[in-house]
Amino acid sequence: MLLENIKSEYNQYKNQAEESAFFQLREKAFAEFDKSGFPTIKNEEWKYTNLKSIFDKNFKSTCVSSASVKNLLVDSLFNSIKANKLVFVNGSFNPELSSIIEKDSAIVISNLAKARKENTIVFDAHFGNYAKIENESLNAMNTALMSDGAFVYVPSNKKVENPIIIINVVDANDMNVLSQPRNLIILEKNAEACIVESYISVGVNASFINVVNEIYVNENAHLEHYKIQQQTGESYQNNYTQIFQEANTNINQVTLTLDGTMVRNNLHFYMNGKNCDTLLYGLYITEGSNHIDNHTRVDHAMPNCQSNELYKGIMKDKSTAVFNGKIMVHLDAQKTNAYQRNQNVLLDPEASINTKPQLEIFADDVKCTHGATIGQLDEEPMFYLRSRGIPEDVARKMLLNAFADDIAEKIKIPELVGLLEQLIEEKL
Amino acid sequence: MNEIEKIGNQTLSPLGRVGEGLLSIKNLKAEIEGKKILNGINLEVKAGEVHAIMGPNGAGKSTLSAVLAGRADYDVTEGSVTLDGKDLLDMSAEDRAREGVFLAFQYPIEIPGVSTTNFLKTAVNEKRKYQGLEPMEATDFLKLMRQKMEFVEMDKSLTSRSLNEGFSGGEKKRNEIFQMAMLEPKLSILDETDSGLDIDALRLVSEGVNKLRNKDNAYIVITHYQRLLDYIVPDFVHVLYKGRIVKSGDASLAKELELKGYDWIKAEVEANAKII
Repeated sequence: MLLENIKSEYNQYKNQAEESAFFQLREKAFAEFDKSGFPTIKNEEWKYTNLKSIFDKNFKSTCVSSASVKNLLVDSLFNSIKANKLVFVNGSFNPELSSIIEKDSAIVISNLAKARKENTIVFDAHFGNYAKIENESLNAMNTALMSDGAFVYVPSNKKVENPIIIINVVDANDMNVLSQPRNLIILEKNAEACIVESYISVGVNASFINVVNEIYVNENAHLEHYKIQQQTGESYQNNYTQIFQEANTNINQVTLTLDGTMVRNNLHFYMNGKNCDTLLYGLYITEGSNHIDNHTRVDHAMPNCQSNELYKGIMKDKSTAVFNGKIMVHLDAQKTNAYQRNQNVLLDPEASINTKPQLEIFADDVKCTHGATIGQLDEEPMFYLRSRGIPEDVARKMLLNAFADDIAEKIKIPELVGLLEQLIEEKL
Repeated sequence: MNEIEKIGNQTLSPLGRVGEGLLSIKNLKAEIEGKKILNGINLEVKAGEVHAIMGPNGAGKSTLSAVLAGRADYDVTEGSVTLDGKDLLDMSAEDRAREGVFLAFQYPIEIPGVSTTNFLKTAVNEKRKYQGLEPMEATDFLKLMRQKMEFVEMDKSLTSRSLNEGFSGGEKKRNEIFQMAMLEPKLSILDETDSGLDIDALRLVSEGVNKLRNKDNAYIVITHYQRLLDYIVPDFVHVLYKGRIVKSGDASLAKELELKGYDWIKAEVEANAKII
């Protein structure tokens, strides 16, 4: 079972590990994981997402990569897109499949294992600072046993010219695969970057990918951050992202979950300075018996910040989804503007969504709204289209596409948006 | 001809004009949630004609347009409606449209994310498919669109936007007329098209309709006020009250209503009811 797999993997690692601060962190993380174990549905944060089916299976970390990975990449959304590409197969960095086109050598686009040795100062200053391991046992598990991941460092006043695409491939051709990628992204003052996280998979066996992203955005920096999840087959994903914002930062975050047996996203923003502006968009499309859970949290810790969140879901068949959005306005965060909306369309009688928008406000001079809707497509637009001779099924598709494309269009890579809209149309 | 004829339940052709019969409504009764709204409407519309339907608030004007266009909220309890001899009530809303019915909405809604161009291309090609025709070539379609836009004096920039999104009231109504021009319906129902329009917008919209009028199509213009009928001059004016057509006449009836209001008609109906 997974727990035994983890323990034995850790013991193996421990026997070979050399004494270092990094090893100490892993020891601490493993102790934390060992203490709290996997989250269960008794934990309020995991009430609607039962991980039991993962824990009852055997998974193995492996760096095995088969020939089919190459074809998968050719067929992926990103093949024709001009970008820096970092490819990880089952958590291991694959330099042959990766390509870095950025010319400015001050900008580091690399893998974490390498950066730990070559960019030690930055690595030590940030690694493990943002994704907490206390009471977050899956973060602790990642910290203890992470494989590799992306490392991006953009120095002050630098702009990364082309998007950076971190492609995580799960190759489950030979066995049930466990992989634990760990990404560290640093934007220094007034820096600018566009980063895409992609998850794709191949193979008949099950996979569990447990991701942790730590992202630090220094003053006046601008980050475009997109997460595109489209793992097929029996695939489980837990994805934790902590974004730490200093003053005057500007972030546009889009999460598209288009496939996956079970996906849990934990997306956290912490606004540590004034005048931050954060946009969070999400789209989840579920079918079959898939389950997608988006937990977001925005911490308004300082005054004059703004956050605007819109998550949309389309649920088909017997699939289920969860949305839990928390906006936390701290005592000092006066003049906060925080908006949150969650809109869901259920296409089949057995599909379901549990949605919980939450606002906790400790400051008194703020503007906050939140709300959730669940339903079928609106009758009025439907009748309008039909009254022009468009049959019901075509009208429904048009409206669903419009509903979903609205989120895809928040991505600022036009050729990618086009491909995504095609993909969404095929799915609906 | 200023004389106003009072029509009971018989079908009417007050001015004795002869054209091709297009729409035939016989004893139409409809209700919503058990509330009777239409209580036996009779109306014959021939190709080339414009019929105005006027009446006080709550008379059933908008219900009539909704029932004709195929809105599902209403139950038709009695009567028949045929278009070119085909049973309209038996058809879905989309089939009615493809047979040639067009409803210009009182409040055209905004549909974010659906582009006007894509929407119209779908509508035009669905109609062609229904008629057994091949879909239009993209270039032909764009040419047609440009042509019709000029025809109804619609701003080109509007079609690159989402359907009605952020349009002013006047732009929305003009977009309805533009769609009408694109789809070339046999029967157009203008549901209080004048509501919320200033005089300039009203003139533009009316000019669009007048340009589209020909001997093969017909219009039902539903309005509360006579104002619109100064621009779109009707062949017939009918007064709807309590779900029935209680009076019919020519364009002068609308002027009389403008002058005297609806009370005298209400009084007349009540008086007749007492006699009977």
